[in-house]
Amino acid sequence: MIELKGVTRRFGDAVAVDNIDLTIETGEVCVLVGSSGCGKSTTLRMINRLLPRTSGEILVDGEDINKADPEALRLNMGYAIQSTGLFPHWTVARNIGVVPDLLKWPTHKRDERVSELLTLLGLDPATDAIKYPHQLSGGQAQRVGVARALAGDPNILLMDEPFGALDAITRENLQQEMLRIQRQLSKTTVFVTHDIDEALKLATRIAVMDQGRIIQHDTPEAILRRPASAFVENLIGKGDRGLKLLALRTVGDVMERYPRPRQSDPLTEGLKETDSLRAALSVMVWQNSDQLPVLSEAGDAVGTVKREQLLQGGV
Amino acid sequence: MPVSTQPPNRVIPALALSALACVWLLDFGLVQPNRIVSGTGYGLYAATGWLGAVVVSSLLAVAVGLALRPTHKRFWVLALLLITALMALPLLLEMLAQRKLPEDSAYARIGIGAGFWCLAFFLALMLLETLGQLKASRRLQLSTVLLIVAGWWFCATREGLSSLSLIREYANRADQFTQALTTHLSLSLGAVAISAVLAFGLALAMVRRERLRRPLLGLVSFMQTIPSLALFGLLIAPLGALSAAYPFLQTLGIRGIGWAPAMLALIAYSLLPMVRNTYVALMEVPEPVVDAGRGMGMNERQIFFKLKLPLALPVIIEGVRITTIQAIGLTAVAALIGAGGFGTFIFQGLGQAAMDLVLLGALPTVFLALAADAILSALKFQGASR
Ligand SMILES: Nc1ncnc2c1ncn2[C@@H]1O[C@H](COP(=O)(O)OP(=O)(O)OP(=O)(O)O)[C@@H](O)[C@H]1O
Ligand SMILES: [Mg+2]
Repeated sequence: MIELKGVTRRFGDAVAVDNIDLTIETGEVCVLVGSSGCGKSTTLRMINRLLPRTSGEILVDGEDINKADPEALRLNMGYAIQSTGLFPHWTVARNIGVVPDLLKWPTHKRDERVSELLTLLGLDPATDAIKYPHQLSGGQAQRVGVARALAGDPNILLMDEPFGALDAITRENLQQEMLRIQRQLSKTTVFVTHDIDEALKLATRIAVMDQGRIIQHDTPEAILRRPASAFVENLIGKGDRGLKLLALRTVGDVMERYPRPRQSDPLTEGLKETDSLRAALSVMVWQNSDQLPVLSEAGDAVGTVKREQLLQGGV
Repeated sequence: MPVSTQPPNRVIPALALSALACVWLLDFGLVQPNRIVSGTGYGLYAATGWLGAVVVSSLLAVAVGLALRPTHKRFWVLALLLITALMALPLLLEMLAQRKLPEDSAYARIGIGAGFWCLAFFLALMLLETLGQLKASRRLQLSTVLLIVAGWWFCATREGLSSLSLIREYANRADQFTQALTTHLSLSLGAVAISAVLAFGLALAMVRRERLRRPLLGLVSFMQTIPSLALFGLLIAPLGALSAAYPFLQTLGIRGIGWAPAMLALIAYSLLPMVRNTYVALMEVPEPVVDAGRGMGMNERQIFFKLKLPLALPVIIEGVRITTIQAIGLTAVAALIGAGGFGTFIFQGLGQAAMDLVLLGALPTVFLALAADAILSALKFQGASR
């Protein structure tokens, strides 16, 4: 658990973070979202003490972080940044292994961990491990950045726009993987982004920031349904918040399950359990149908979903 | 069978024809009755007879022919041909010695003429072009140079060339030559080593304290702007006074003239390129890299030794390379204040109008500078590719 109590950070006379209170429960993904310069990075960097705070208190599991040794504190907090900050003179494997090395893990344990993480992030342990950062694509570099943050098996993950500067499709893929990894590992995560869709997708709770303050701290659904101010309302976009609400739920939440899987007609297009309601609705509108089968990975029909169920799911 | 046809090379024929013209129009070698008198010049045919003339002319003709052929293999043949030619080049002077040197005179000697220099120069340019066309690796380039140097070394030790003026000058001063080499190397490399340590400290101080940057850079740049001869001269008075006041300094060899002022001046000159490169290199380590390192839990020491230093190393070595070449050249000038080294031969030779003595000082200086360049470039290259 991470607790920020009345935390303020000034740069000279300018206030970057203004007396914020924020509690991040263990295993939760807290996304800090807001426009450029609102103090997201500053907040994040105070948690691992890359920046000292001007006043207030930051507690990790009840302990004031200023009491701990800063290096020891950071070794237990994975850190990934937008520009990846990969070490250009080290191979991918050595980059990922940096925290295990600092923790003095035995070599074989470190090497195992590195290839495990490469696999987890969809990289090839045989070919990608020996590459240098300049030989990677932008998306691969971001994956390595995330793998490096996870390597020391930290309790806490701090991620500052780790998927920034990527094209929409790669970004989408990485977000999917982030969700998958989070389901597996449930790390206490603080994730910074200025993309509200990314926030809605990844967050357990979202903290909307503006000019150094936290305007609203709540679940994605609550933020969409009850925006605390005109600022939040603008941020989420008035026009399509209904659709965004639909995007929060998946087909699995509302479908009607069959007692046992059935053979499905290979020609009908089906939905997947993990599809969002928004995507499912889009398919239905496109196919002009009222009902679609839900297919498993193997292609069997495991259930069905009706258009009314989808629409009710958003309410 | 697919034949790769390639356009004819124009550079090599142009160089070969220039060489041909020079070799036939200019004096190839000289025979001097003694070391001061300028002597009589001989053209290629007169100097080396029909054998030498035919070999040289046909070599150049073959090079032209090969360069115009449309296959890629020609460059390998050309490279072999040119390397062999360059290695054996001193043998032409041996032929001159055999044919024209008076038997009875102990002082008579042969000198190198403009024709020979031009031939060597153009052959070297042709080889450079050939290696460029072959996209030769660093290792191949280096081995080529070593092969040619070895060839010349072998020729120089032969009896036939003992009458070459340059070798005469060397033979008369073999001991002095070794001593000049040691002095030259220890002065220049010593200055580089000391200023490297100093520069590293200064650069670190500048990195730590932004306020120190302008005054320190100003100081080392200022030292660089003083003409070298003036700086050598300026140091004579204070060091002379110092050693007069403290006689024990004299026993250490610290006097107004000699190695002490030379060393000080060399260090002063070496500081700017080294401080500047080290400072810039350390400052230009990307901020996200350092930020990530710190965020990962590295302490300041680890950040410096694992990240900043290795990333800065190629540029730091570049500074050392520039400085070393500069120091080797400046050490030659330092002979003027009695520091020793190869400059001694240069200035003696100038004083006695004995050009070959000048060469005896100048050629090794150039060679040392080139060797330092090659070694440090290779180091930098390795550092950068890691
Ligand atoms: N080192 C610094 N010195 C002075 N001011 C700073 C410093 N770092 C941040 N600031 C200021 O603090 C404010 C908040 O910066 P911060 O980096 O936290 O913004 P952000 O929300 O992360 O923005 P972005 O989305 O652009 O990354 C900005 O006004 C910025 O100018
Ligand atoms: Mg930021």
